[in-house]
Amino acid sequence: MDMLILKKDSLKDFLSALSPDYALWAPVEKDGNTLFQPFVDWQNTLPDLTHQAAIIKQTIFPQTELLFSFDQNDQMQEPESGGAKQNILFGVRPCDARSFSLLDPVFKGDIPDPYYCARRNSAILIGIACTEPFANCFCTSVGGSPCGQEGLDLLCTDLGDRYLVAVLSEKGTELTNKTSSLFLPAPAEDLKQGADLAQHAARSMKRQVDLEGLTEKLSKMFEHPVWKKMTLKCIGCGICTYTCPTCYCFDIQDEPLAKKRGRRVRLWDSCMYKEYTLHASGHNPRPTRVERLKNRMYHKFKFNVDSYGTFGCVGCGRCITLCPVNEDLIDNLVAVKGAA
Amino acid sequence: MMNPYLPVKATIAEIREETGGARPIKTFRVVPQNGHAFNQKPGQCAMVGILRVGESMISISSAPTQKGYLEFSIMKLGKVTSALHAYEVGETITIRGPYGNGFPIAEWKGKNIVTIGGGIGQAPLRPIVQYILDNRDDFGQFDIIYGARSASDLCYKAELFELEKRDDLKVHLSIDMAEPDWKRFVGFVPNNVLRIKPSPENTIAITCGPPVMIKYVIHNLLELGFSEQQIFTTLENRMKCGIGKCGRCNVANLYVCKDGPVFNYATLKGLPEF
Repeated sequence: MDMLILKKDSLKDFLSALSPDYALWAPVEKDGNTLFQPFVDWQNTLPDLTHQAAIIKQTIFPQTELLFSFDQNDQMQEPESGGAKQNILFGVRPCDARSFSLLDPVFKGDIPDPYYCARRNSAILIGIACTEPFANCFCTSVGGSPCGQEGLDLLCTDLGDRYLVAVLSEKGTELTNKTSSLFLPAPAEDLKQGADLAQHAARSMKRQVDLEGLTEKLSKMFEHPVWKKMTLKCIGCGICTYTCPTCYCFDIQDEPLAKKRGRRVRLWDSCMYKEYTLHASGHNPRPTRVERLKNRMYHKFKFNVDSYGTFGCVGCGRCITLCPVNEDLIDNLVAVKGAA
Repeated sequence: MMNPYLPVKATIAEIREETGGARPIKTFRVVPQNGHAFNQKPGQCAMVGILRVGESMISISSAPTQKGYLEFSIMKLGKVTSALHAYEVGETITIRGPYGNGFPIAEWKGKNIVTIGGGIGQAPLRPIVQYILDNRDDFGQFDIIYGARSASDLCYKAELFELEKRDDLKVHLSIDMAEPDWKRFVGFVPNNVLRIKPSPENTIAITCGPPVMIKYVIHNLLELGFSEQQIFTTLENRMKCGIGKCGRCNVANLYVCKDGPVFNYATLKGLPEF
C-alpha cells in the first residue's frame, strides 16, 4: 500500500484537478448544517471536515429516485444513465464507508438493483480518518474503527498542515497517479504520526458497549417488557432511520404529471411509521411504536446478523445525536443486555 | 442489467365477478403483451399495477399449466385494487414478477393433498387444484376444503360445483351460518377440517385464509396427527418492491415477498411475529 503526503494547501488543486472528469460530493456547511452535497464551488470553499456530515447514503441511494417515467400513451422510459460522471465522495468517515459494505448484500444480492449498482460500482470513496471521534461515536463496539479502511479507495489522516494519504485500491491509485505532482511519498515520521493518531483515536472513543452475546439474547427477548419501557419517550419521527447510513427501506409512489404523463419514484421510507406496514384491510402487524422500535432494534442486531453475519449498524451515533427526545441506542442496548 | 422494477403491460381478457358486497372480489384474466412469458410456479405472486396509481402484490390464481394468460382474484380494498375494479375488458394494466418461492409441489409427488381455504384465501390454492388435475396420476387422494361467510362470499363457485361431480377428488364446501338453500356443511372451516378428519398418512396440508382461520386450522391439523412439516401456509404483508429490498414485509429476517409467501409450519412456528 502506498502512503503519500498531500499538503492542505494543495487540496483545492487536487479537487479542481478531479472536477472536470468526476462528479464531486463532499460535506458542505450550509446554514449551520453539514450535509453531503454535490461539491461545485471548489474554488471558493473547502469541504467541512470538522463535523459529522449527514447523509452520505444519498450519494448512492438518493432520497428520491426516478425509477421510470411514462408518457400519455403509457410508454415507459427508464432514466438515461449514459453520460453521467463517476462520483467521487470526498471526506467519507470510515463508519460511512463501512455502511456501504452493509448495504451491498441488500442491493447487489439475489436480484440486483440496477440503480444502486450503477452508482455504487463506479463511486470512488476518499475517506477522512476520525482522529478525534465525535460525542456519540461507538464504531469500535460494532466492528469498526475510527481510522478504518474498509470500503475506501483513499484514506486521509489530518497531520496538521498536511494529509497522510493511504492508497487502498486500484481506483485510488488511478486518482493519485492522475494528480501525482501534488503528492509526495510519506516520510517515516509522518507514518509514525499517522499510526499514533489512529491508536489515540481508538483509545479516545467516548462511548462503548459490549455486544458479546447480544444476538443470542435477543432471540429469547421478543416478548420482554424492556421494549415497551424503551419506547415510552419515542415520538416516532423517524429521524433515526433517515440519518442512519445503513437504513435502506423505501417506498414506491406514482406521480402523475401534466398532459397525462407521469413517473414512478422511490423514496426513503421509515419502519418507524405506522403506514409502513399497514395492510389495505386495516390490519397492521406492527400497530404501535413498541413493535416498530423493537423491529428496528431486531433488524440491526439480530435479523441482519441472521441474514448477513454482521450487525446492521456502524456505530456512527447519529441516531443518538439527532433524536429530539434523547432516545439513546447505546443506553437501549445496555438495557437489553442487562434485562433479566 | 435487467430492471426488476420495470413492469410489462398486460391486457385484461376477461373479468368474472366472484363475490359482491362491500368488499367485492373479481377475477381478472390478463394476457401479457408482446408475448412476454411468465413461467410462474403455483403459489407465486405478481405485482399488479396501474400506471399513475401504483402496484399491489397479488397471488397468481391460475396454474402454470394454463398457458398464455394469468388470473388474479382481487378484492376491492385499497387504492390500487379499487382502481382495478373500475377497469374493463380490453384495458391495459401492468404486471411484474413472478415473485416468491411458490409451493414445493414437485416434492409432493406421490402424496395425498388436502387444501384448506377460507374466503379469498382460495386464490393462492387454486393453482394447486389445477396443477393436480393436470397431473392427476402423480398424486394420491385429493381433498379441497373451502369455506366462506356465506354462499355469496364463496369464490370460484361454478368451478367448485363442477369439481364436486368428479370422483377423483373430494370437495368439501362450507358457509359460516345457515342459509335456506345450502345443503352442505354449515360452520367454520377449522370445524369442517375436524369433521372430515383428513388422514395425516403420507399427506400434505396447505391452508390459506384469514389469520384466525389459519391459526385454528393448524391447531386442528396437529390434533389430527399432522406433523409441523406436513403443513404449509401462505402469508401476506404490505409490499412495495417485491424483491426483498424495500423492507416492510419482513417476518423476523425473512421477507414474505422473496422467502415466502409459502412457509412450512415448522419454519413459521419459530418466527417471533407469527
